[in-house]
Amino acid sequence: MFFLKELEKTIQLHPSYFGPLIRSHIHKELLQKEEGSSTGKYTIVCILDSFDISDGQVMPGSGSAEYTVHYKAIVWRPYKGEVMDGIVTSILPSGFFVDCGSLQAFVGRNMIPSDIKFEGNAAPPQWTDGADQVIEKGTNIRIKIKGIRSEVDKMYAVGTMKEDYLGPLSQ
Amino acid sequence: MKILSPPGLHYPITVLELLKKPDDDVKRSERLFTYTYESTVTETDKWGDEKTVKKKFTAHFNASTEGKISRWYIGAGAVIARSGTEIIEIEEPCTHEIQFGGLCAECGQDMTKVDHLTQSRNTDRATVNMTHDNVALLVSHNEALRGEEETKRRLLNSKKLTLIVDLDQTVIHTTCERTIAEWKADPENPNHEAVKDVEGFQLADDNVSNVAANWYYVKMRPGLKDFFDRVSSKYEMHVYTMATRAYAQAVCKIIDPERKYFGDRILSRDENYTDKLKSLQRLFYHNTSMVVIIDDRADVWQYSPHLVRVPVFNFFPGAGDINASFLPKQQELVTQSKPLAAPVKKIEDAPMAASDAGESAGAAPAEGTNGVGEALEQQLLSMASPETLDEQTKEQERVIIAQQTERPLLQQQLMQDKADEEAEASEEPDVAAHGDLQHSEPPKHRHSILHDDDRGLEIVENNLNRVHAAFYDQYRRSKAVGPAGRVAALKGERSPKKRLNDSVPDVAELMPEIKEQVLGDAVVVFSGIIPLGVDVQTSDFALWIKSFGAEVSTSVNRRTTHVIANPDRKTTKVKKAARYENIKIVNPEWMFQCCSRWEHVDETPYLIEVDPAERGGSPFEDDSINASGEEEADDPADSPVTLNLTADNWESVDDELADFMNGDDTDGDNASESDSERSDDSTASTSSKNQKKRKRTNGNTTDGSEAEESDSSVTNTSRLQRRKKRTMERVTSLTNVVTAEKSSGLPTPEATGTEAIPADDLKGGPEENGVAPDLQEDNDDALEAELLAGFDSTDGEA
Repeated sequence: MFFLKELEKTIQLHPSYFGPLIRSHIHKELLQKEEGSSTGKYTIVCILDSFDISDGQVMPGSGSAEYTVHYKAIVWRPYKGEVMDGIVTSILPSGFFVDCGSLQAFVGRNMIPSDIKFEGNAAPPQWTDGADQVIEKGTNIRIKIKGIRSEVDKMYAVGTMKEDYLGPLSQ
Repeated sequence: MKILSPPGLHYPITVLELLKKPDDDVKRSERLFTYTYESTVTETDKWGDEKTVKKKFTAHFNASTEGKISRWYIGAGAVIARSGTEIIEIEEPCTHEIQFGGLCAECGQDMTKVDHLTQSRNTDRATVNMTHDNVALLVSHNEALRGEEETKRRLLNSKKLTLIVDLDQTVIHTTCERTIAEWKADPENPNHEAVKDVEGFQLADDNVSNVAANWYYVKMRPGLKDFFDRVSSKYEMHVYTMATRAYAQAVCKIIDPERKYFGDRILSRDENYTDKLKSLQRLFYHNTSMVVIIDDRADVWQYSPHLVRVPVFNFFPGAGDINASFLPKQQELVTQSKPLAAPVKKIEDAPMAASDAGESAGAAPAEGTNGVGEALEQQLLSMASPETLDEQTKEQERVIIAQQTERPLLQQQLMQDKADEEAEASEEPDVAAHGDLQHSEPPKHRHSILHDDDRGLEIVENNLNRVHAAFYDQYRRSKAVGPAGRVAALKGERSPKKRLNDSVPDVAELMPEIKEQVLGDAVVVFSGIIPLGVDVQTSDFALWIKSFGAEVSTSVNRRTTHVIANPDRKTTKVKKAARYENIKIVNPEWMFQCCSRWEHVDETPYLIEVDPAERGGSPFEDDSINASGEEEADDPADSPVTLNLTADNWESVDDELADFMNGDDTDGDNASESDSERSDDSTASTSSKNQKKRKRTNGNTTDGSEAEESDSSVTNTSRLQRRKKRTMERVTSLTNVVTAEKSSGLPTPEATGTEAIPADDLKGGPEENGVAPDLQEDNDDALEAELLAGFDSTDGEA
């Protein structure tokens, strides 16, 4: 689910950046470091333009300046039970992996409808029901999150496609 | 799941009442039964006196897992005396067999949670990683076995085996030198032909030495596509490399663009838990009986019986394996540059014109570098030095930076070009001398340092086919016996499933059987090959040849059949072996050929010639050429024409060229040695050489007879120049061996004119050259002696 969230970030700038363009440097640094990063709870999708840069403070000893930036960002946080679209990245006999943006989810064998079977002799291997449903690397797929766990900067999820309207999307 | 009485209760406990019946559903932390226990407590009465009392308490036992009760092991009134007693069995709805990142892939529960009820951690249930590209996905023991069983059935049905393929130096060779891109773009370049199918790629997350993105250039081993095509019908292929994931995927995109050979079966360093070793157990938990490995290194596989060792693919000379810094260090052997069969053959096959002596001279530097690079093949296991990952990464960076900045290939090619020019310059006089014969010759080409002539894959494919055939041969035979066994199975002697297991042959037993027949009757002694201080029996070479059934012994005796010796050195073992008629003294190349072809290769091309005198005192053969009195009568170079001869000559040419490039030759030994060799090779060439030398001295004084004095009287700088020139002549005189005989030492005046050009630009005076033809006939021999004396004196001074 997407949220608009107020965030704060401390940025250190090397003295070589001190000058008339310092604000744009801070802006650039913020975008570069924060956009797309994951905290383990949520992923920062997009930083909104209006933000507030505090006065700089020169750090004793190093000469670098420290700025505190308040900004608003659109963040994405997956929840258990959420339905998501993703792209299949890898096929295994025990299931397959799906990338949903920054989140990697695993769909296990028991979470796949029983009519879709693993075809190991195909090159490359795939999960298929022998008809129009083919799951291979690169397939767009809709899954539902069955469980989620976050570590320091990473999230793990397991998904299912055993419910209605889940499974490979027609291209 | 069986629940046992946990530690930490006040035993003994007495069960009061069971709160659940069999077939009841229980939730986690629900009460299962009540019990009483006795404990001593300290009580304080109203006057403040303390006393300890024994008291009886009642407590509840909570379920540590949810599920359906299948049976009770205890009843009301039972006394549980200690921890570890069986209490109850609960059938769980989910046994968490597949876990991804601490989540159960079947029920979605968090497996890492631990609370007061936890008896064993749920994460311990799934500990086996069988996935190529993910370390977070783990399965349980049972699940792993089930998966393997499925794979086995699938492979048997399609008559395939599993093949693990290493990337670097086995099927591809990678360098970071951008010279390759320049050569690829330039059709004029002599190396263009060899590098035109080289593919480059960049890695996005790569910031070696803070250069934005480093280019990698990948050369596929010749015939790779066909090799994969044919092998993939018999083997299901996996990639197992010590490179990073990004690199491995980029390479696979090149070698397998349609992903039909490997699919997603790519395992890289990122998913291998250690940097030092490759392990079959990482991918195949229990059953490795159908796995074959191809790799150029045996030590990383701990000399696994599944390994088919592949000759190293070394396309970019000196580039090595850019990912090897993560592996245990390789140790080079004593033989620095060993004669190679392949390039030698190439030279022989090449259309040889009458005067392409220049060509062989041109090939020499390439041969040298190839030889040094090929020495990497001679690795020894040295796991002793523990290195941190940081150091290894730095090491890799250093290698890559060196390739980027120093561009060794470009340097080699420049050297090559120079050598070509030399050769051309030296040939001009011959062209002029017998013109019409030479005119038909095609114009001289620049020589390339890259050779696209590797045939390693054919050998490997041959071996793989043998293993595959042997495996399914045995499988079919054991299946044919099957029906008889089936009766026994029906009688209940064995379960049918077990029988299936037994009937599948094991590659780990099959392959050594095939290999051991190769050199089964050989007793081998190494001499001058394995460095001092290394245990012979456990050295890489010995382990390798032992896997082919040969016996390695440390001393030469009557049982010895082969002595594998360093052709450049003469050891006591070789001398001792020479006394036995039956012992074959061969160079290491013989062993490489045997071990990579899986055949007992004929020793003849690899024999090291020994002095006939030492061969049990047989009469001297015609040594008249050696009569110039050199000490190196037993030098292999003097033997009748063998592969060693050419190779050794090239080495000396190599040395000389290196001397020339260095500008100053400080070693007098080298000079005199090559001098003597030259005189050995052909007496005819000496005359033409002499005449050149005389001309040079003529440049200083018009009197040829005073050559010696003038030689020693000139200043240091000119001496240096002269020496340069001398080394230059050394190269040319060697290469002129063939042609000189034709000119029979009587060059025409035009020829000398062109030949004197190097002398001209130093202190030239064309009119002085006119003197040379007059003088040359009289006192060649005397002059030669004088010149040699002059050389010795100047070299001594240096």
